[in-house]
Amino acid sequence: MPEDVLQGWLQALLNGVVSGSLLALPALGFSAIFAVLRFPNFAVGALATAGAYAAWVVNARLGLPVGAGVAAAFLVAALVGVLLEAAALERLGRGGALMKAIGSLAMAMVLENALRFAFGNDLQAFDLPLARDMLLGPVRIGPQQINNFLVAIAVMAALWAFLALTPLGRSMRAVADNPDLARLKGVNPRRIALITVAAGAGLCGVGGTLIGLDTAIDPLLGGRVLLSVFAAAVLGGLGSIPGAVAGAFVIGIAEEFTVLALSPSYRMAVGFVVILAVLTVRPAGLLGSRAA
Amino acid sequence: MLTYLLFALVVGSVYALLAQSLMLSWGLAGLVNLGLAGFFAVGAYASAMLVAWGHAPVLLGPLAAMAAAGVAGLVVCFSTLRLRDDYLAIVTLGFAEVVRLVASNEVWLTGGTDGISGIPGFLRRESGMAFHLGTLALALLAVAAVYLLQRRLLRSPWGRALRSVREDETVAAVAGKNVVRFKAQAFALAAAIAGLAGALYGHYTSYVAPDQFQPLITIYIFLAVTAGGNARPAGAVVGAYLLVGFLEATRFAAEWLPELSALQRASLREMLVGLGLVVVLSLRPDGLLPERSQKAPSR
Amino acid sequence: MTDVSRRHLLGGTVLAAGVLALPGLVRAQQDGPIKLGTLTPLTGSGGSYGPGMAEVVKKAAAEINQAGGVLGRPLSIISEDDQTNPEAGLRAARKLIDIDGVSAIIGTWASSVTTAVAPVCWQAGVLLATVSGADSITRLPHNGFIIRTQPNTSLQGRKFGEFALEVGAKTVAFMSPQTPFTDAQFAELTKVVTAAGGKTTSLIYDDKKTTFRTEVDQVLRGRPDAIVMGGYTTDTAVLIRDLYRANYRGKLLGFAYAVNRQLVEALPADVSEGIYTLSPSAAEGSGGYGRVAKLLGVDAPDTYACQVYDHLNLIALAMAAGGGATGAIVRDHLRKVAQGGGQPVNNAAEGLRMLAAGGKVDYDGASGPCDFTEIGDITDARFRYEQVQGGKITLLKIA
Repeated sequence: MPEDVLQGWLQALLNGVVSGSLLALPALGFSAIFAVLRFPNFAVGALATAGAYAAWVVNARLGLPVGAGVAAAFLVAALVGVLLEAAALERLGRGGALMKAIGSLAMAMVLENALRFAFGNDLQAFDLPLARDMLLGPVRIGPQQINNFLVAIAVMAALWAFLALTPLGRSMRAVADNPDLARLKGVNPRRIALITVAAGAGLCGVGGTLIGLDTAIDPLLGGRVLLSVFAAAVLGGLGSIPGAVAGAFVIGIAEEFTVLALSPSYRMAVGFVVILAVLTVRPAGLLGSRAA
Repeated sequence: MLTYLLFALVVGSVYALLAQSLMLSWGLAGLVNLGLAGFFAVGAYASAMLVAWGHAPVLLGPLAAMAAAGVAGLVVCFSTLRLRDDYLAIVTLGFAEVVRLVASNEVWLTGGTDGISGIPGFLRRESGMAFHLGTLALALLAVAAVYLLQRRLLRSPWGRALRSVREDETVAAVAGKNVVRFKAQAFALAAAIAGLAGALYGHYTSYVAPDQFQPLITIYIFLAVTAGGNARPAGAVVGAYLLVGFLEATRFAAEWLPELSALQRASLREMLVGLGLVVVLSLRPDGLLPERSQKAPSR
Repeated sequence: MTDVSRRHLLGGTVLAAGVLALPGLVRAQQDGPIKLGTLTPLTGSGGSYGPGMAEVVKKAAAEINQAGGVLGRPLSIISEDDQTNPEAGLRAARKLIDIDGVSAIIGTWASSVTTAVAPVCWQAGVLLATVSGADSITRLPHNGFIIRTQPNTSLQGRKFGEFALEVGAKTVAFMSPQTPFTDAQFAELTKVVTAAGGKTTSLIYDDKKTTFRTEVDQVLRGRPDAIVMGGYTTDTAVLIRDLYRANYRGKLLGFAYAVNRQLVEALPADVSEGIYTLSPSAAEGSGGYGRVAKLLGVDAPDTYACQVYDHLNLIALAMAAGGGATGAIVRDHLRKVAQGGGQPVNNAAEGLRMLAAGGKVDYDGASGPCDFTEIGDITDARFRYEQVQGGKITLLKIA
């Protein structure tokens, strides 16, 4: 294999890992909400956008550092997510998971347009310099990408520690595994559900911020990655936390390789072919266990 | 004014066909089809290509549209057979996007993002009001035909079997129903109806392009079906016409706020649409026309 | 059908019809304001352009009204959202035409939306003034009811090619999302560049992607010394960032509608430094461009803002020249005020005064001389060549 082809592949692999890490957080949020509340929350894209705007306001308007922006993104997205759930989606639960899913589509529309109403359609950017990439042997990577990657990994690690080590996290997993049994053991499922939504929406908010840091912010930011996020979560197995992460990296890498191997305009299609292929072999996704 | 009303009714009829398609696959067979826009597109393109480029008689268009969309439905159904509901929802959503990608990028096949313009109408477009009236009559005829078909199917043993599959696949399978066959039939038929809607839309407006088939239309139809009642053909039809009425009415509501910028009024309008859906869903979770409990036929 | 469901069905239809019928009661009268519509993308992927366009038309109309209106009647602008979607755009256009009774629709942006609403316009005798680029639009059988101020794609492709050569490029890469004019533009660009002994490559990307790192690598492997960007603001911003990160130091050329004030403000100054842009322009010193800048209070107004400003002025002048406010009168008199000798004028208020005094005008707008061919394309445009310098869009030349 000629050297520059190999180098191209290596670079695409690295690019895929980086873009996968951006997809991972919203995919995690989506999957976590699914694990406990048992419905696909289509508002995750809009929640990611809301988080990005919150971070932008804190950074560009109030002049605080980006770290504070990321924290604000988590908090605001979490708050908005809980509000949507408590004010609108919860009461649709009677009609079944699908009603909630459709309700979340509608709320995504409302949220996107509320942001548009407040901020307009203009591109907004963080107050941050842009650095040229560094060469790491045969491949190149930017400091911003490394930062984003580290933030994503740190958030994932924190989430894992939270789920594995804290009593609250254990109750969440209990509700996800078997709500009836959890109730018998004295866990309040509604409280757990709202906490999960807060955490999941917060993750989406941080994910949206990372995307915004890498590019720019506008009301369609979350909507643009929505399908890739779904693809990642479905590929990993809906409701599976490690699955969402694995799925995000597979989709991220597959999308970059589409550019090399096929036409760049078909990256979305490739994501879905990958899903179909995986689901045909493993109907519950890569790491999902609860096949119905 | 009258043209506008007729136009809105034709668009409403197109939506009504789409709503019935969704009702059949989702309400009856329990298959969540978020790829509605994709089948709509396949039908619209099939008919437009055949009639505008192939110079076939206009009335062949809808037949080709139904056939093409039905085949697409079968393909999607068989490649997703083993998927659970929630997976199916997302995969079909992806299908619709893939259709749009192909329509945009395969310029040799579809004309690309330029779309296909100058598609002949069912009647001569120059005939003015007669064109709109005639197309509306045809559209209503299509809606009525599909409606009657659905009601027949619903009452037939096939419909009962389908509902039993929806309620509990395992029980239905144990009771000796061929679950796969029922699902595939329902899905293909639903796709064909969406294809018919596409043909109608293309021949009425004279133009098809990839941008027309954005996921938004699927959301709209879900809105219509859930508002109307997702397991009754009449509910879907009523919901669709109400939806078009509502979408258009929000325009005038937005005009009451002249002090806002055009952008803000546009975003308020879309917020209204979303909120409207949530309100209807929470007030009438079963829609305006809920499913009647199906008693065993008395003998 | 049971009685209950029939009642429901009928009730629903009547209700829907009632809701639709209400606004019809307040229809325009012959001597009321002259109604014109804007149909621009306020939501959806074109959303970064539409709001500004609607705004300019409102402001320009207010200016005309202040000067006494057209034929003694004020202009009333109704703004609708095409949602960057031909289906929604068509519904909006029907409402503008049938309910509001507008005689012209201004500002359709996406080529697909323009193509979808065009038949409705020419059948109803409503003039459609558009900024869409697809060559196919003016070839529709529109009976003169379409005018377009956006130069056609072959002309733009050629200009990009010539300009790339002028800045010393030999290997030119073209990066663009899939649009109705991508292919034609690249073909023209290639013709010009290869004729001068250079070569070209192209890459079509998916404009919804959040990073173009691999795309950029792919293109840079061909070692281009100039890259022509064919996208719009949102994707172009991402592309420019990724080109900068990839250490690309060659020339960058883009459409001024993509590399606009919004984009420059969203990028650090060192990243946008040196990007060249092209936009259609009137001859130097015609003054229309400066008027739009003043109207909006910005240094470098968008080319779309300039174009819709011209649309409105042309329509107003044509109405005054023809002595009526219908779409057909606008169509029949538009070229009489746009071209063919007469006193040059760059705004409607002044032109309306000249017409009232029995003079003849030749409108030279903010986006170009605004002379139209039989099918509604502009016959000639100069181009503004600008460059981003120190975070500001700076005029290099008009040629």
